[in-house]
Amino acid sequence: MPRKKQHDIIHRWEGNPVITMEDLSFQVSGICNAGAVKIDNIYLLLVTIETLRGHKKLYIARSEDGRYFDVDDKPFMAQADKKYEEIGVMDGRITPFEDTYYISYIAESHYGYRIRLAKTDDFKTVTRLGFVSEVDIKGGALFPEKINGRFARLERPWSGGRIWISYSEDLVYWGGSEVILSPRAGYWDPHRVGDAVPPIRVKDGRWLLIYYGIKDTSAGPLFRIGAVFLDADDPARVVSRTNIPILSPRERYERVGDIQNLVFSCGAILENENLLLYYGGSDSCICLGSTTIDRIDQECLKSKGEI
Amino acid sequence: MNKHFPLGYDILHRFEGNPIITIEDIPFRCNTVFNGTVIKKGDEYFLLLRVEGQQGYSVFALARSKDGLHFTVEDEPVMTPARRGPFAKYETRGIEDPRITAIDGVYYVMYTAYSQYGTRIALAKTDDFHHYKRIALVSEPGNKDGILFPEKINGEYVRLDRPIGKGVGNMWVSYSKNLVDWGKSEILMTPRPGMWDSYRIGASVPPIKTEHGWLEIYHGVKMTVAGPIYRIGTVLLDLEQPHKVVARCNKPILSPREDYERIGDVGNVAFACGAVVENTGEIKVYYGAADTCICVATAEFENLIAITLNRKDA
Repeated sequence: MPRKKQHDIIHRWEGNPVITMEDLSFQVSGICNAGAVKIDNIYLLLVTIETLRGHKKLYIARSEDGRYFDVDDKPFMAQADKKYEEIGVMDGRITPFEDTYYISYIAESHYGYRIRLAKTDDFKTVTRLGFVSEVDIKGGALFPEKINGRFARLERPWSGGRIWISYSEDLVYWGGSEVILSPRAGYWDPHRVGDAVPPIRVKDGRWLLIYYGIKDTSAGPLFRIGAVFLDADDPARVVSRTNIPILSPRERYERVGDIQNLVFSCGAILENENLLLYYGGSDSCICLGSTTIDRIDQECLKSKGEI
Repeated sequence: MNKHFPLGYDILHRFEGNPIITIEDIPFRCNTVFNGTVIKKGDEYFLLLRVEGQQGYSVFALARSKDGLHFTVEDEPVMTPARRGPFAKYETRGIEDPRITAIDGVYYVMYTAYSQYGTRIALAKTDDFHHYKRIALVSEPGNKDGILFPEKINGEYVRLDRPIGKGVGNMWVSYSKNLVDWGKSEILMTPRPGMWDSYRIGASVPPIKTEHGWLEIYHGVKMTVAGPIYRIGTVLLDLEQPHKVVARCNKPILSPREDYERIGDVGNVAFACGAVVENTGEIKVYYGAADTCICVATAEFENLIAITLNRKDA
């Protein structure tokens, strides 16, 4: 992929944005935050679409090259629960798990937002599982394998703006919650952090976690993307963290939109050593950037700061 | 005394000896005492008190009484924040607001663990009210006012909790098979705009089983220009599906009026956290006042149920 700018560790695709409202056959208010998976040489995105009325739904987009996508005409998942999904469903994160796929997404209602799980084998039909978090908890990335015999998920409780990990035997009852990553005063991520992409096992066994960090400015928040590596055996332990963001809003499509100055990801695809990061730009379009695991690792090694 | 309300303005009647415990009664140096949970074992009343130290964080002390009105506080705190082990990280700023629930003869204490990472609900158990074995931190951050129901319902342990989230103080119900892992959270009730509990609500007293449902004595907050007013209210919950409300009292059963409820570190607070239903049919409700002392007030239990059902004749 040709480099357009070298300021960021993630290199933007020169054809960005990948999906905009123009690519849809119907009118919407916005499009953002895609989960991503590659199945049988098809790149599949689960994109969040905000309707003109203001509800959020999840749509599937498919591509043969990961660059040019066709978005379905009908939502894959819309509001199904009157009580807790009244305002919508959003931020679908896809976790391949054994021979199936879990989708963790955010259900929003007047009571707040919560993490809910769903399961699909083929992205044609989907089975909803339960609401798995308390209220006003976002993120919700499920690990793609059990950790010491238990399911594990990352999450971002509103309280404190930190990333936590929780565990479960059965995906129904959850416990053992521990804080794993906090905002850092004096850095680019001083006010809130949250899990972005479901954790990816890299070659040496460590977990790569792409996260987002927020700096509140006088004009509103700046959403940027950073990376940490988690311990291979105990992912509640952060082993390294970049001092700098790996992607910051710079391009017009990241600066101008419903939520300005925002890059935010829910999904990435690892192809050999190449990481394809699908990210939302200013809550109004989907973009693509890429880097290598090694490049992120080098940046982590250089960073001697606080983790 | 007002001739129309010979027993006072409130549905609960204050004990004339209120407050029953102040810092004068605490044998060790402290800032305030409030929000004590109560259990009656045989003929003896045990109050587990939240005592805020002068350095600013809270510990638990034990008070005992033979009549439920006159208490003696023991010389040393019985539970203090963990300083090592897995709980230490989440109790750096203290332990708060204990609630005792007896299930099958075991006394469980749900309390709030407070640290830089926020407030979380924690669970411990005790046999003698002096030694506490911590079981687990059972909520995510931002949650407090956790209270266990006194029996399993449909094979599951049940708790009330109050996740504060983005500042919306709603009451929820969560379920567990093993007291450690929790899930299936359901909204129970929300503040009522225009009423005395319009800003925030939270569980206060461990639920009491009645033929009409679980009686929950809760706290409701109204926000004013001068700060919040904390009052005590009641609600009945479905016996089989405790996340469903059967009836909710329109009126608070106690509002801050006396000087000891109006004046203190947090003025205008009446905050219940324990109750005993006597064989005589009287309920004693223990409450913290103005975050500074402990008080008790009583009612006929049947009358409290009738009030909660919003019966006009009550």
